[in-house]
Amino acid sequence: MQRRDWFSFGSFFYWLLVLFLYLPILLLLVFSFNDSESLRFPLQGFTTRWYSEMLVTSGLIDAAKNSIVVGLLSSLVATALGTMAAIAIIRFNFIGRTAFLAVSALPLVIPSVVIGVALLILYRLVFNVELSLWTVGLAHVVINIPIVMLIVAARLAGFPDNLEEAAMDLGTSYWGAQLRVTLPISFPALVAAFLTAFTTSFDEYAMSVFVIGTDATLPVYIFSLLRFPRRLPIVVALGAIIMAASVLIIVFAERLRRVGSEQ
Amino acid sequence: MENRSRVAVLISPSAVFLVVLFLIPLGIMALYSFRAGAFGPESQVFTLDHYREFSRNATFHRLLGRSAWLSFRVSLLAILLAYPVAYFLVFRTGESRLFLLTVIIVPAWVSYLLRVLSWKVILGGNGVLASFLEWIGFQPGGPILIYSPEAVIVTLVYVWIPFVALPIFAALERIDRSLLEAAADLGCGRFEAFLRVTLPLSLPGIVAGFLFVFIPTVGEYVTPALVGGPDGIMFGNLIFSQFLRGLNWPLGSLMSLAMLVLILVPLFLVGRFVRLSDLAGI
Amino acid sequence: MRAYRRVTLVWMSILMPLVLALVLVACGSGGGAGDEPETETETSVDEPAATAEEEAAEPETADTSAEEEAAMPEEPLLVLEWSGYTAPEVPEMFGPFTEKYTATLEEVVEYNLFADDAEAYTKMQTNVGADLVHPCHSWWGLYVEAGLVQPLDTSRLSNWSGLHPELAALGEFNGEQYFVPWDWGYETILVRTDLVENVPESWADVWDEEYAGHVVPWDSAESNFIMAGLSIGITDPVNATPEQDEQIKQRLLDLKPSILTYWVDYTEAYDLPQTGDAWVLTNVWPDAYGFLLSEGYEVAYVNPTEKRLGWVCGYGISSDSTNLDLAYEYLDAAIAPDSMAALANTYWYGAANTEALPMIDEFAVEFMELDQMDTLFERTYFPEPISEEKRQIMVSIWDEVKAAP
Repeated sequence: MQRRDWFSFGSFFYWLLVLFLYLPILLLLVFSFNDSESLRFPLQGFTTRWYSEMLVTSGLIDAAKNSIVVGLLSSLVATALGTMAAIAIIRFNFIGRTAFLAVSALPLVIPSVVIGVALLILYRLVFNVELSLWTVGLAHVVINIPIVMLIVAARLAGFPDNLEEAAMDLGTSYWGAQLRVTLPISFPALVAAFLTAFTTSFDEYAMSVFVIGTDATLPVYIFSLLRFPRRLPIVVALGAIIMAASVLIIVFAERLRRVGSEQ
Repeated sequence: MENRSRVAVLISPSAVFLVVLFLIPLGIMALYSFRAGAFGPESQVFTLDHYREFSRNATFHRLLGRSAWLSFRVSLLAILLAYPVAYFLVFRTGESRLFLLTVIIVPAWVSYLLRVLSWKVILGGNGVLASFLEWIGFQPGGPILIYSPEAVIVTLVYVWIPFVALPIFAALERIDRSLLEAAADLGCGRFEAFLRVTLPLSLPGIVAGFLFVFIPTVGEYVTPALVGGPDGIMFGNLIFSQFLRGLNWPLGSLMSLAMLVLILVPLFLVGRFVRLSDLAGI
Repeated sequence: MRAYRRVTLVWMSILMPLVLALVLVACGSGGGAGDEPETETETSVDEPAATAEEEAAEPETADTSAEEEAAMPEEPLLVLEWSGYTAPEVPEMFGPFTEKYTATLEEVVEYNLFADDAEAYTKMQTNVGADLVHPCHSWWGLYVEAGLVQPLDTSRLSNWSGLHPELAALGEFNGEQYFVPWDWGYETILVRTDLVENVPESWADVWDEEYAGHVVPWDSAESNFIMAGLSIGITDPVNATPEQDEQIKQRLLDLKPSILTYWVDYTEAYDLPQTGDAWVLTNVWPDAYGFLLSEGYEVAYVNPTEKRLGWVCGYGISSDSTNLDLAYEYLDAAIAPDSMAALANTYWYGAANTEALPMIDEFAVEFMELDQMDTLFERTYFPEPISEEKRQIMVSIWDEVKAAP
């Protein structure tokens, strides 16, 4: 039985943290309506022109779309691969397990700049493939695999494999048991891993800047725009929209979840 | 024997990715540290000059140490702030915990750059903090907090908290509640039960979260460049500068290797005392 | 029942983002058919989504000949460019070109964006396949040396004669013209005159105790090296001797206690003077000056006794480009007087074509001193192209200065 302590210390701390996390974002929201080109107080008056300007800045919209697509696809792949690897690490004791674990943790250790340049050399000078969103996506998968692995492995370690074995005893194949037992049970961890991977990919700059072709991702576009500070409020407006969209998605997902578990 | 084939299937996609798109390029990168230049005829010349240059440069070594220390503080703070929140979510909020967790994650979706810039607004000379203090009568002599290592720490902690909360949340979630009940039955107070049951069991999540922040932060360069000021420079800025401004890829590769060694050595030492698998919570 | 629902939920959450991604890709297929890496064997293992995505993104057919007067070029032009200078974003800066290809602009020219000269150089060296590149002149020598750009046939540029001859001469190497100058500007000291007692009159003045704690240099190894060199009387810092390098390093270390912070991106050059914390900023470009003036701040854009720094950026055609007709067309459009005037009026940088002067706003002409082009090279130090070795020395010195506690 869980106690709902909405007014306890923990609750207070939680909401304080939420405030801390959202305050800068709320500031962005405020500035997106500010009638001035610089991000400073005092405020200069209300305007919606940044939003309308943003909608006609085709480069920005395209970059945002690209980031979403690359993020979703690369996170899906990374989640799939990382989960599989996590299952292998946790459930089996094989030769080279420690080595594999160490190697897969390495992408977290190397600065993204280095991975970016290394991959650029690989793509252009070794394989001679054109740079594109695909090359960026593959790079994102590489850095997200360890993240997914760690998150899912931490979860998998917590429950023994009895259930899987039971399912197999009842006639399911090994892979069936994974699909029907392991994955659903570790579902929250998968979601957490996916979200983390998506966030990492969506925000990734240092590495992406090197392996990107003619289609920009959002962070690359924003960074390159910083040379023109008069364009910055447009970016702020986009940030506000992303926030609003995220909130909507969350609320929607929560509704879905409530419906789903009303059985 | 079935097990072998299962393992093979499970890890081969990741293994292929990691080898082709990671190990091999890195190997090429490491070889670069022995070249005289990044492009053209110079890149064919083998030399140890960069190694000599780097090993003689005490300023760079000290910077590496300072960066590691700063990352350590950032990670520690992030853990200290994220843990209570994760604990609260797992143990006190029931079914809506995933939702509430996602509420914490969502700010991370807004561009990192914008979030750092908004902190500049808050901390800067005419920002929220300064104008608020003026309003209540306290006159700061100059810019508060910003353009300092402290600003870097605050900003990085702000950035990383959502990411630290996740593994701690996952680890806390899988703790068997009956253990806590058993502890209560045996006469443990709530705090004692926490210390002796919850905390140790969540340790893998804590360590995972710590490493998750610490390791990339050592190589961080964007935040130091924006809010760090003259004293807030970190080693990542050097690497960035050598690769992207000086075109000195050999030296940049070498510095990356140095950073890698710095991080791996403590990891290895930890590995002697704690099995690597324990860290991952296995 | 419960287990069944959970499994459904799992599949739903996999399919929904996938569907979302496919929809977005289908909607946004304006970038042409997706590039497919030919040699990566892993793609078949990892992406069931990959093939589905290609089916969803319809390849563009270049079949617009019905309405098009101009012949459609076979291959789009690829320009390696700073962000903010792409024809779809600022069509008036490439007037004749965008007018000719209005309907099909996005198919005729594509862009690979960069945020820094070093990045552009790296991309060129790793063969990104660009036809045109837009670097700044201290890098031009490297491009020529490395054989990355081809000599230009200036007779193919109808607007060539309007270009300021001394700026154009900067793009000449070994008797051949390799770069077409386009945008230029100064780098000098920006001062809040209402916050300081004495306005600096030379680079050396920046080191004055009066400004301690309120100096903001640009985080650029090249510019700081040059500035420090000029401030101790070295007239040509980019050709400094090793002893002079050491002097410059020490000079920069001496400045460190006065530094408030560095400005990295241009937003800070606009913002910092407004906060009142930064009194003296160095190596600032003209647009910040124009902006602050127009916002009513009391600022000065100094003419130091040792001369202002100058920069000019321009276009070169890459050596392995085969799209020459289109490249020359684009270039000619860029240096047309109207286009150049649009550049000056929008971004507050100088225009290399002197014939654009009558069309530039008076305010801009005044604060950028555009009507004094004759004396430009007397008042301004345009450094010679910097060798790779020298650049590495500059970067290392600057890094050491920054890393010093």
